[in-house]
Amino acid sequence: MTREVLIRYDRCTGCRSCELACAVAHSASKTLLGAIGEAKRPLKRIFVHQAGAKKVPLNCRHCGEAPCLDACIAGSMYRTTEGIVTNEGGERPCVGCWMCVMVCPYGVIRSELKEKLAVKCDRNCLDDGKVPACVRACPTGALVYESIDQFGEDRRKEFLAKAVGGQ
Amino acid sequence: MKVVIVGNSAAGIAAAENLRSLEPLAEITVLSQENHPSYSRCLIAEIVAGAVFDSIRYRPDSFFEERNINLIRGVRVHSVNHASSTVSFGEEKEASYDKLLVATGSRPVRLGVAGEELDGVFVLRSYDQAELISRCAAAANDAVVIGGGLVGLKAAYALRRRGLPVTVLVKSSHLLTRQLDALSAAMVEKELREAGISFIYGQNPVGFKCGADPKALGFVVLEDGREIPAGLALVAKGVSPNAELVREAGGEISSGIKVNAFMETSLPNVYAAGDCIEVTDCVTGRQTPSALWTLAVEQGRYAAINMAGRQKAYPDPLTRLNAAQFGRLPFVSVGAMEEGEEFLTWQKEGRVYQKLAIREDRLVGFIMVGLIEQAGVFTSLIKSKRPLGNLRGDFLQGKVSAANLI
Ligand SMILES: Cc1cc2nc3c(=O)[nH]c(=O)nc-3n(C[C@H](O)[C@H](O)[C@H](O)COP(=O)(O)OP(=O)(O)OC[C@H]3O[C@@H](n4cnc5c(N)ncnc54)[C@H](O)[C@@H]3O)c2cc1C
Repeated sequence: MTREVLIRYDRCTGCRSCELACAVAHSASKTLLGAIGEAKRPLKRIFVHQAGAKKVPLNCRHCGEAPCLDACIAGSMYRTTEGIVTNEGGERPCVGCWMCVMVCPYGVIRSELKEKLAVKCDRNCLDDGKVPACVRACPTGALVYESIDQFGEDRRKEFLAKAVGGQ
Repeated sequence: MKVVIVGNSAAGIAAAENLRSLEPLAEITVLSQENHPSYSRCLIAEIVAGAVFDSIRYRPDSFFEERNINLIRGVRVHSVNHASSTVSFGEEKEASYDKLLVATGSRPVRLGVAGEELDGVFVLRSYDQAELISRCAAAANDAVVIGGGLVGLKAAYALRRRGLPVTVLVKSSHLLTRQLDALSAAMVEKELREAGISFIYGQNPVGFKCGADPKALGFVVLEDGREIPAGLALVAKGVSPNAELVREAGGEISSGIKVNAFMETSLPNVYAAGDCIEVTDCVTGRQTPSALWTLAVEQGRYAAINMAGRQKAYPDPLTRLNAAQFGRLPFVSVGAMEEGEEFLTWQKEGRVYQKLAIREDRLVGFIMVGLIEQAGVFTSLIKSKRPLGNLRGDFLQGKVSAANLI
């Protein structure tokens, strides 16, 4: 069964460990020290937002009906057999048309303007236990990696309903 | 079930792909006038700039075979005979269907002025046309692009990247009137001017004149009588839906093929999706041709779901939904700015500009130039029609994220 990164908002303290771990996992050297010195700045794909008093870590939800899949004019965004939505390692390269950035309701696809590259969570960060770097790094259990049981699905629907309303 | 799809592009491919995953046993045939592997139409300006076909492919060649979809390329569908549930195509060929999807797209509007048939006067809609333009550009000394919309500017930028002097004729008072306001359009214009493109405003061409060769373009003649030397001219004044197949079969047409929420035309078992249809904008409530890649894919998917017998209504889409980048300047424009009663703007160092249009405490449109992060959060706010309430104060400067909406 597919596992997902679920967010327990009440537990996030905004320490940004997840952001750091995500960037390091996407660096060439895969170590913090190495990552700092790399010519190509490693990019995080999870973002801790401040919303009023709340801290909220957000990354790609790999939506069932992902708007970014419909929107991609280059044929670059695709779903892997594991259910991961990504624009890396597929049939076509990303051309930086920003269609996905324009339609992602979570705002979790970043636009790297110089490289003309849309950058998002690709799950190319799993450790030996098959756990994503952001989840592994979270000290408070705000991020958990679970299969989508009914609870998870409900939470996700609720989030979507609140974020995108009528959708 | 036998399904025939006319058109091998955004809508047709999305429909075929989704139909196959819903109906493993359906017999699916795609008929395509263009005799090329599937490519992204939005990227054909790259061909004008000198790129090769491979760089604009949309799906790999194996796509159709792997899914057991019968693709017949290089054939035109002449008519739909709904009484016999057949289409006639190619040289006296016929295909029968249980369900038919018309995904014939649209074609560029012509100016209808003297000299438009001269060699060197083009429109840009297909790979073949892009290839011809590219060849002409290699020999031409100067180019004129007619139209300051997205296709015109993409073409102008591509021609300029080849080193040609390029002039863009714009009838309106600023570029990209469908997408941008005067201030943001000026930022895009500045970027394009820095790339070496010139602009003439308030003018349409009234004709094209030959030069030394009586068959080939030499000059573009303007309303004010000026004659601009040009070895290449490209007319980019919008598109009109390819609705003939349905019209001639007696189906209902207005600004495009009329479909209901289930993507059905007024003809039995005939569906339509993509640039060839008319849709209702979810913000303005007005009918308008669909005319966007993203919507064509969405509609192709909905058509497939409904053809497969799983009724699912297509929600009215946002018909203004554009993102692009010229030089170092990206922009996103979504929704209906003209519906706004109140506007919030934010500018930074002449490189960043964001503007939100609000009506009755709801977001109805936005423009982002230079900084486009989180654009999708705003797009979904327009779609959901959610009241902004106390978010409003923090709206610009990247302070509002999806986190605020939980
Ligand atoms: C240069 C350029 C840039 C663009 N940029 C953007 C962009 O940034 N964003 C965006 O959203 N949109 C963009 N568009 C528009 C986008 O390309 C269209 O919205 C999209 O291609 C529509 O897809 P479609 O499947 O409906 O039709 P089309 O792509 O038009 O395809 C229809 C196909 O059907 C075939 N056909 C038609 N009639 C018949 C027949 N009788 N028999 C057999 N075959 C037939 C045609 O030959 C064609 O291959 C751009 C277009 C151009 C030209």
